Amino acid sequence: MREAVMAQPETVSSRPPCHAETAPPRVLVLGLGNAILSDDAVGLHVVRALRGRLKPDEDIAAVEVEEMGLSLLDYIVGCRDLVIVDSIQTGRVPPGCLHEIDGDDSLTRRGGSPHFLGVGDTIACGRLLGLAMPERIRIFAVEVDDPFTLGESLTPPVAAVLDDVTDRVLQAARSLATA
Amino acid sequence: MEPAVKQAFNQGNLRANAAYQASRRNVTIDPITRLEGHGKIDIYLDSKGDVERAYMQVPELRGFEVFSLGRPAEDMPQITSRICGVCPTAHHMASTKALDDLYKVEPTSAGRKIRELVYNTFVLEDHALHVFVLGGPDFIVGPDAPPAERNIVGVIGKVGLEAGKKVIGTRKRLRELIAYFGGKVVHPVLGLPGGVSKPLNPADLPKFQQLAQDGVEFALWTNDVFKQIVLGNPGYVKLITSDAFTHKTCYMGMVDEQNKVNFYDGKLRVVDCNGKEVCKFTAQQYREFVAEHVEPWSYMKFTFLKQRGWKDFVEGPDTPIYAVGPLARLNAADGMATPKAQVAYEEFYKTLGSKPVHHTLATHWARVIEMIYAAERIEQLINDPEITSPEVRRVPTNGPQEGMGVVEAPRGTLFHHYQTDDRGVMTMANMIVATGNNAARIAMSVERAAKGLIQGVKDAAQVPEGLLNKVEMAFRAYDPCLGCATHSLPGSTPLRVKVYDRDRQLLRELVQG
Repeated sequence: MREAVMAQPETVSSRPPCHAETAPPRVLVLGLGNAILSDDAVGLHVVRALRGRLKPDEDIAAVEVEEMGLSLLDYIVGCRDLVIVDSIQTGRVPPGCLHEIDGDDSLTRRGGSPHFLGVGDTIACGRLLGLAMPERIRIFAVEVDDPFTLGESLTPPVAAVLDDVTDRVLQAARSLATA
Repeated sequence: MEPAVKQAFNQGNLRANAAYQASRRNVTIDPITRLEGHGKIDIYLDSKGDVERAYMQVPELRGFEVFSLGRPAEDMPQITSRICGVCPTAHHMASTKALDDLYKVEPTSAGRKIRELVYNTFVLEDHALHVFVLGGPDFIVGPDAPPAERNIVGVIGKVGLEAGKKVIGTRKRLRELIAYFGGKVVHPVLGLPGGVSKPLNPADLPKFQQLAQDGVEFALWTNDVFKQIVLGNPGYVKLITSDAFTHKTCYMGMVDEQNKVNFYDGKLRVVDCNGKEVCKFTAQQYREFVAEHVEPWSYMKFTFLKQRGWKDFVEGPDTPIYAVGPLARLNAADGMATPKAQVAYEEFYKTLGSKPVHHTLATHWARVIEMIYAAERIEQLINDPEITSPEVRRVPTNGPQEGMGVVEAPRGTLFHHYQTDDRGVMTMANMIVATGNNAARIAMSVERAAKGLIQGVKDAAQVPEGLLNKVEMAFRAYDPCLGCATHSLPGSTPLRVKVYDRDRQLLRELVQG
């Protein structure tokens, strides 16, 4: 397994882009979030759990990222397929529900954010600059309860679905890896 | 609900959700329903259908103090840098300075210079990101361009592909410098009470000297791009200088001994709307000069100048309301400490006619001028013979008690304040972030935008569609922190506006993001 085992969240600065040392993985699973903002960290938890379930011969890398926007480019470049796990708060469904978005959907949904670049913008920017961008993108977002309180644990409804969400994301990553 | 029941309920939900996805292949998130994390704006009309008041609320970070209590103070630069994925280095540095004060230890000269070098590199990178990626698209692509084009892709379309590569490439090299000292950009491990953890190896100097030189060129090029595209367009200039985006408040910013802008250290200077100095104080004196006002309609605390007392959301020479950030820093200072930035500074005030400049949207230009200063300051520091000195830390010998630290974060003044027991374990933590310092003026900007657009409204159909965009532009110039979370989804400004009639009945709701 290349680069798939990493105990701590890493950044581009301390870690070269995924293609720098070895060939890029077929599938990169990026877990996004802030580790000390309660449910905001759910993407990080999922990726950590998922990494433990990967078999050594699987061409899947699982990476936790506490950055966003343009910084994501440094991770994404060179990987064939991309799976993103993030948190979201729509208020429309109970916390713990899993949303799934097609990469193409997110690409069409551009718009200025006060601080960050959306995933769609980031990918579009990478393509425009001629960087090797993933061919296929799947985005999973867990509906969260509290992403605003400083804390290192998930709220119960989100913690309760961690296993199931990890299964679902792993299944998606595997189907991309073998396709 | 019993945990077991709750779990069963959630699992059922998840299965139902998965089944739905399977049948439809995916669930499309309608961004319009992302309600919980929204900035909420409530607009109340009077009997004539004009705006009586407009109130804005933003989701805020909670539990900072509780999270900090009982932890060793030395952990605070790491903890606070993790709070926000946007300005980790600002929190790290304010926290490190609070530790210097806590242990009453003066950093060594080389340690201080390395901190300032890293800090200016961070400001340059963050400002560049804002100019080209976040706030800039409004101007570089155009405020009236369709939202689908107002983004980095649109910016590259306008400035050219090679220029786009220059932006992305420079940003990456600047981050490498931060990472050289801090290990990581998002969680730097650099600042220690009394200095820094790592010296600069002389062998690594040439590449950073080259970067500094390129940084200055990059900042000057950015200023040219801005002047050509924005100032060359009379429509943009009219928008920037329009009444809708103008407020006569006080301005706060950190200055050196010559009253020149400094991001890392100095005293905080406040000038009134006529540019007259109101006060000047150190981080340790902040509680004598800054107080927080609470309004019943918001969880947000509105800071104001304590000695003037709270006087509601008013403008003019006596207002206690102040702004922070790039425009405020330029207004609060007498000039820039580096030559090329000083030239740009003088051109800024000459072009906009007077000082202080009260046009909120001029913040975008002020930011570019600060990029020039940051780049020049990097060049000065990297060429300072002392920068490779191995004496980067003075070990503290005093017992801890209380410490305050302040820096100019890219978005404005940032205070950290800690108290500990005699073992250095945290007993109190307070933090005032740039958005808090700007909160009162942001509220005024939102109300102004609403008043400009809503007049004589009798029914829902008369609430203009453009309200949302205009209100968004009013607060986007401040680049406020809408909750310090790292969500990349849905990637647009979450905002909800509700308009109520004179009987407090909801007339219309507009949502985006």
